[in-house]
Amino acid sequence: MRPFIEIEDLEYAYPLEGGDQIVALRGVNLTIERGEFVALIGPNGSGKSTLAKHLNALLLPTAGRVCIDGLQTSDPGNVGTIRQKVGMVFQNPDNQIVATTVEEDVAFGPENMGIPPEEIRRRVDSALVAVGLSAYRQHPPQMLSGGQKQLVAIAGALATRPSCIVFDEPTSMLDPVGRRQVLNTIRWLNTAEGITILLITHSMSEAAIAQRVLVMEAGRLVMDGAPALVFGQGTRLRALGLDLPPIVDIAQRLRTWGLSLPQTVLTVQDMVDALC
Amino acid sequence: MLIQVENLTHIYSQGTPFEHVALREVNLEIAAGERVGILGPTGSGKSTLVQLLAGLFKPTSGRVLLEGESIHGKEATARRLRLQVGLAFQYPEDQIFEQTVFREIAFGLRNLNLRRTEIEARVNWALEMVGLNPAAVAQRMPFALSGGERRRVALASILAMHPRVLILDEPTAGQDSQGRRALLENVGRWQRETGMTLIIVSHALEDLAVLVERVIALKEGRVVADGPARQVLSDAPLLLDIGLDVPEPVALLQALRQAGKNVRVDCFLPAEAAAEIARAWGLQEIVS
Ligand SMILES: Nc1ncnc2c1ncn2[C@@H]1O[C@H](COP(=O)(O)OP(=O)(O)O)[C@@H](O)[C@H]1O
Ligand SMILES: Nc1ncnc2c1ncn2[C@@H]1O[C@H](COP(=O)(O)OP(=O)(O)O)[C@@H](O)[C@H]1O
Ligand SMILES: [Mg+2]
Ligand SMILES: [Mg+2]
Repeated sequence: MRPFIEIEDLEYAYPLEGGDQIVALRGVNLTIERGEFVALIGPNGSGKSTLAKHLNALLLPTAGRVCIDGLQTSDPGNVGTIRQKVGMVFQNPDNQIVATTVEEDVAFGPENMGIPPEEIRRRVDSALVAVGLSAYRQHPPQMLSGGQKQLVAIAGALATRPSCIVFDEPTSMLDPVGRRQVLNTIRWLNTAEGITILLITHSMSEAAIAQRVLVMEAGRLVMDGAPALVFGQGTRLRALGLDLPPIVDIAQRLRTWGLSLPQTVLTVQDMVDALC
Repeated sequence: MLIQVENLTHIYSQGTPFEHVALREVNLEIAAGERVGILGPTGSGKSTLVQLLAGLFKPTSGRVLLEGESIHGKEATARRLRLQVGLAFQYPEDQIFEQTVFREIAFGLRNLNLRRTEIEARVNWALEMVGLNPAAVAQRMPFALSGGERRRVALASILAMHPRVLILDEPTAGQDSQGRRALLENVGRWQRETGMTLIIVSHALEDLAVLVERVIALKEGRVVADGPARQVLSDAPLLLDIGLDVPEPVALLQALRQAGKNVRVDCFLPAEAAAEIARAWGLQEIVS
């Protein structure tokens, strides 16, 4: 079977007024298999959001190609199917809410797809159960916390029954409680529902929970590997202006003090086990 | 005292089914030149408090005084006082409306009767403060920037005003680590040079740890802690109570302590925590 996401020699330039352009993606090659949990990190402006928007045909390649489940995004006939297969959740929860109650908001996507009402009702119910917001179905979304609004946005993406969800910095506006709610839900979507996840984040600790970490710099994909492998390259990441996850950082510093610690130390518990 | 907050209460949508008490009887004093952090979970009233400090709307009851004068008082006085307080909003991307980055930042400066050259100098300075290259971005359209860049433009427009009291509402949300560090360092340095008063709202305890000397914690519209930054930020029971995570280096040191190791726990940065562990383990740094 072909990989779920196939990106070949992808280039993208934003046209500017007066004929100028900004090249945001340069020669990106990437495949992601069904069911993978992939994190994407990189400095501000490195092209992460631009790449994400290519995955459900919000942007189309200037050169190269993007295929989702074998369907090329640049073919207008594929766009509807691709948007059903790949859901998107963005950073600012307030900009994603479209309706006056939680359940209407969640129903918005499937309604646009022309799904029959009984089926919509079933999907809304199960999406709200999935994110733990069934009790809030009649609430106006404005009355919810930032974390809860983000869960509404996730439920909205779930209701279209996607095979993949792209999260573009879903937690960066949230407090730790909201962040935990959203991350636990993302993890559950991947392990229990088998949904392919691309998680864009500035938090290295969040990236460390993925199976695979991609690093972008200036429009290029510059690293790709398991978290321990990518975060093992501290010098390179620092040169890109990225931090290490705090525990990995502490481990590397302790190694320079002569302590031998396994490369796989990523979490507080790993470190306590290694030290005590 | 520069800022006095007296019995400040704020109720949104009073008298409707959506009535919500956002602040309850808050009392505070902030001295000129202090660097203060405001900490608390979503919904605890942080943004409401700082918007009231900036005089953006009237409280339900209570007062905010700037050098003894009410910032919600007579219009002429209030307007003069409000010009001294610069608040960078939590969601600044919604506030941008000019056609170029330069015009966006210059907008507020036009009310200050500055010369053209001074305006240009301030715009460039403010862009550099937030880590943007003036030559590269000044003539671009704000909406054609990435989200993180747009937030920094909004922040630059507040810095350019040189307020006496600078209030930043979650300034590092959505910024990469280098951008975040540069921003905090630049603002910290500028604060030390000018002696201005700095108030920062953040959930990122490690950001507050490097920048402020005092932390005020809010929960459900009430002040639940107010003290030296290091003390409040390593108070695990308090942080747990208000739903905030201790930074990972602190969590690690606490876990080691529970395992019987004799370590300090108030190290917020990886470098500090590593040095503390090295000390407790009796390690010698290898000089290569
Ligand atoms: N709508 C747009 N028009 C023009 N340039 C843009 C637009 N959106 C983003 N860019 C530029 O494209 C580059 C990549 O941006 P983006 O993909 O948003 O980065 P990231 O998500 O990694 O922060 C940046 O240089 C940014 O300024
Ligand atoms: N315009 C408004 N109308 C009704 N409730 C509001 C409004 N703005 C904020 N609130 C509520 O007031 C409480 C405090 O909000 P805010 O000051 O924004 O908190 P924080 O900045 O700590 O997250 C929250 O529960 C929020 O939902
Ligand atoms: Mg982005
Ligand atoms: Mg707020």
